[in-house]
Amino acid sequence: MEFIETLINGLSIGSTYAMIALGYTMVYGIAKMLNFAHGDVIMVGGYMIYVGLTVSGNPIISFLAAVLCCIVLGITIEKVAYRPLRGASPLAVLITAIGVSYLLQSSAQMIFGSAPKMVTIADLGNLKFAGLSIPVYIIVTLGCSVVIMTALSLFVKYTRTGRAMIAVSEDKGAAQLMGINVNRIIMITFAIGSGLAAFAGLFMLMKSPSLSNTLGAMPGIKAFTAAVIGGIGSIPGAMLGGILMGVVEAISLTVPPVAPYTDAIEFIILIIILLVRPTGILGKKRREKV
Amino acid sequence: MKSNFKKLAAAALALVMVFSFAACSGGADYTAENTEYIIGVSGPLTGGAAVYGVAVQNSAQMAVDEINAAGGLNGVMFKLVATDDTHDATKVAANYASMLEGGMQISLGTVTTGPGLEYSKLSVEDNVFFLTPSASGDKIPEFVNGYQMCFADGNQGKVAAEYVNTLGLSEIGVFYKSDDAYSNGICEQFKDNLDPSITTVEAVFTGEASDFSSQISTLKNCSFIFMPIYYQPASIFMTQAKGIIADDAVYYGCDGFDGLAGQFEDFSVIPQEVSMLSHFDSNATEGPAAEYVAKYTEKFGSDTLNQFGASAYDCVYALYYAMVEAIEEGKEIPVTISASDLSDIFIEIFESGYTFSGVTGENITWDENGYVAKGAVKYTLKEAN
Amino acid sequence: MTKLNTVKWNHYLNYIVVAAITLLFAILSLTGFLESSDKYLLEKIAIAITLAVSLSMVVGFLGELSLGHAGFMCIGAYLGGKTAVILEPILGEWPTLIVSLLVGGVVAAVFGMIIGLPALRLRGDYLAIVTLAFGEIVRSVFMNSSKESFGGSLGLDTPRFNKDILFIIAFVMVLATLAVTQNLIRSKHGRAITAIRDNEIAARATGIDVTKYKLLVFTVSSFFAGIAGVLYSYSNFTVQSTKFSYNYSIEILVMVVLGGMGNINGAIIAAALITFLDVELQTILTGNLAVLQDLIYALILIVLVVYNNAPKLKSFREKYNIKALINRFRPHNPSKHRDDEAKWDRVPTKIKMDEVLSVDLQVSSPYTPDKAGKEDK
Repeated sequence: MEFIETLINGLSIGSTYAMIALGYTMVYGIAKMLNFAHGDVIMVGGYMIYVGLTVSGNPIISFLAAVLCCIVLGITIEKVAYRPLRGASPLAVLITAIGVSYLLQSSAQMIFGSAPKMVTIADLGNLKFAGLSIPVYIIVTLGCSVVIMTALSLFVKYTRTGRAMIAVSEDKGAAQLMGINVNRIIMITFAIGSGLAAFAGLFMLMKSPSLSNTLGAMPGIKAFTAAVIGGIGSIPGAMLGGILMGVVEAISLTVPPVAPYTDAIEFIILIIILLVRPTGILGKKRREKV
Repeated sequence: MKSNFKKLAAAALALVMVFSFAACSGGADYTAENTEYIIGVSGPLTGGAAVYGVAVQNSAQMAVDEINAAGGLNGVMFKLVATDDTHDATKVAANYASMLEGGMQISLGTVTTGPGLEYSKLSVEDNVFFLTPSASGDKIPEFVNGYQMCFADGNQGKVAAEYVNTLGLSEIGVFYKSDDAYSNGICEQFKDNLDPSITTVEAVFTGEASDFSSQISTLKNCSFIFMPIYYQPASIFMTQAKGIIADDAVYYGCDGFDGLAGQFEDFSVIPQEVSMLSHFDSNATEGPAAEYVAKYTEKFGSDTLNQFGASAYDCVYALYYAMVEAIEEGKEIPVTISASDLSDIFIEIFESGYTFSGVTGENITWDENGYVAKGAVKYTLKEAN
Repeated sequence: MTKLNTVKWNHYLNYIVVAAITLLFAILSLTGFLESSDKYLLEKIAIAITLAVSLSMVVGFLGELSLGHAGFMCIGAYLGGKTAVILEPILGEWPTLIVSLLVGGVVAAVFGMIIGLPALRLRGDYLAIVTLAFGEIVRSVFMNSSKESFGGSLGLDTPRFNKDILFIIAFVMVLATLAVTQNLIRSKHGRAITAIRDNEIAARATGIDVTKYKLLVFTVSSFFAGIAGVLYSYSNFTVQSTKFSYNYSIEILVMVVLGGMGNINGAIIAAALITFLDVELQTILTGNLAVLQDLIYALILIVLVVYNNAPKLKSFREKYNIKALINRFRPHNPSKHRDDEAKWDRVPTKIKMDEVLSVDLQVSSPYTPDKAGKEDK
């Protein structure tokens, strides 16, 4: 029974990671860049929900507004900060992404102050089942993650845009020669990734009502770790990695002597997995050609 | 060519720096040109702990303004200098030196404990008196020049353990932040002083964690949970624990709990009883505490209202009245008095049984070590529903 | 051969500048012209320079992104500090200083070597996340250490060195870092390292021992990060692990990037300038204004990196840069043209390289002209 409970908690933590990791993996898989600012787009989504709730009072309207804002923000970031660097070294892109992340965090603190805001979206209550008490948001988050994961996989596989995405991720130059508008495809990718960030923001706030400018920072890094463990670029891999991270975290937290080292344990697992399988669990092997 | 230019730039930069250094050099008599008494404080004005630093800055400024509006000390005004250490001990030395060189005579030390340790060691060398509102580390009052307005962590843990011992429980839960000096300090003394017959179930978190579902399920069978943590994680814990931890359980915290009620639109959504051991309650409806809360809320809103600020407000007044008392005793405090001379006067006053009443307690005194002695009250923030 | 002479002279110029500055401040300090705040600032500047120069070896010359530099510094700070605590009553101040500097540096170097091992298998973003993870692991271990060993959450109490002298020692360490780094970079080993950066596969094919050089760079770089850590522990009364989060690694990275990747002098200037501004602004900007500083740094970082790297701005950059403006007033002398400067726009990336190499029809690869030019020589 104890173990089942731990597993459920793991799913609860992991579903959030999975949701964030999906955003990372989308952008990484197609644009081949680590969007360090993804976690902070989540934070912006959270603040948008907060603003929407204070203005309209309607959770659905404010959530939709947040999705819209995040998509616009994602596209803007891509256009202003990342697009000029297309073709430049990935190191430059990564450093710019770090800059964008800092910019978003400090802007949020300028605008909303440093005191965390408490945001109550909706109290979904708990589901009592066979002596277990499962918060409903876990089920909602998990369900949404699975739906989004499936939808994304199908979208990438079966739509024209999705296939164009695969083409771009395989080879930007060749895709361009085939008549694919690479810039447009990458913009769409960012729009989808940022929209997912708004979802992640919503689920994070549903779980824990505290909203501050560092909301997305650490979860973002953990989720990226999860995406790498699962094999970055792979959509089911992100889901798998996220859940795995969550379960590891939950197990480690229930064992008193190692509980303070939880973060360290997660990162050690990352290092081990990368040493054994440099492309992650579900990642495709990449051959080096000369 | 490029590297030549860089070297040129380096030389120019060095020159600029030398000038800026030379410009601020002078004798050791930093306070000679003071026209006001300068109070310094270093705290986190930005970053994750900013809410505490901002509260201290606001409240201390409020107290200084009030004192100045009432004519200052024999016509001499006070001035508050607040510097930002972002809760990073590395930044304290620069803050301290710049405040000292800017003529600081009295100090509120630091807002948080980590930087406070660094600050104590720096200020004891120059003998600069400080009365810290909220750096509650046990080591801090051990410095001759250091005094606390808040309870020391160890004492809080001890008093809390003594209270728990009287409840006749057989098992309690402890939830704390394992990488935090405040939380650890209280917890250690709490466990040391707890009746050995009481078993403890422990759950910890680190960093800026915001998902406590694992910890909650560890603690779910406890009817009494001791939480020596600050109110933000506490509010998250309580929100997430709804329906999992029994409704008749009790959450018991220390002064870090203050501000908890402000986190909820409606505190009654939490079914459990919430109480704390503290020196200040920001929901006070009467007495000096309520007056302070009203003034603060009017000026700065309720976002940053917490016991840190109340404590800082008291610190400024305590220092002011100590100076008044010193003058009554025939000591001279000219506006250009050096920090070290003033420190000697303060230490003498504080050691000779100085008593102060403010918003965080009546008849507050300090023992010879600098630990504060005042009434710790158990405030029930919320009854069980 | 006159060219050789000028080159040599150039090579020693930055030592001379740093040494002159050190001497100047040492004299100022001895004659009582420096306030303690100035000495603190100088210590910080020297530590920042040591960190930036050592990180620029990995990022600028080897071309790998490390986000764990603060982790190496953390190891140095804790172990050096602990050594100082234990040895100071026995050995006295100066021998302790030397021993703890060595201990901190060597242990950090050993860890640098360990973390260099995955660097052999991982590239680019993967390595970045692994180094970041490493830094966080180190921090977490020290954070949760017992009170008796490393002080736990309260931090380790370390002896503070005499502030009149410490900044001079710190600057001497800067000189040592410069000496080792520059001599390594300018030797044949340094050319091998930049070759790995520019194209690992080609470097391997020419018989360069990639494993050896990668490990060497990681080891040397973390050795000096460890030294900086020991200096840090000597410049503070307590060492607290909260300082060494990945944000600090990023701060160091910002210095390296702003200085121009692969440009040691640039890194020195950027480190000094950023630290100077940081400390000066810290006491001036308060409240919500303090955030402004972070905001401005972030903006500068984005603008600078985009400006320096955007392929479309290349012609603009070449036309309007300070170098060109200065050159306008100088007689043109083609014989003085040097091509061995590490250039930021040539900084690599393995993943990109692989793509470039594996694709036949790459329409707009910015690397093609550069590479062609290089191979022709």
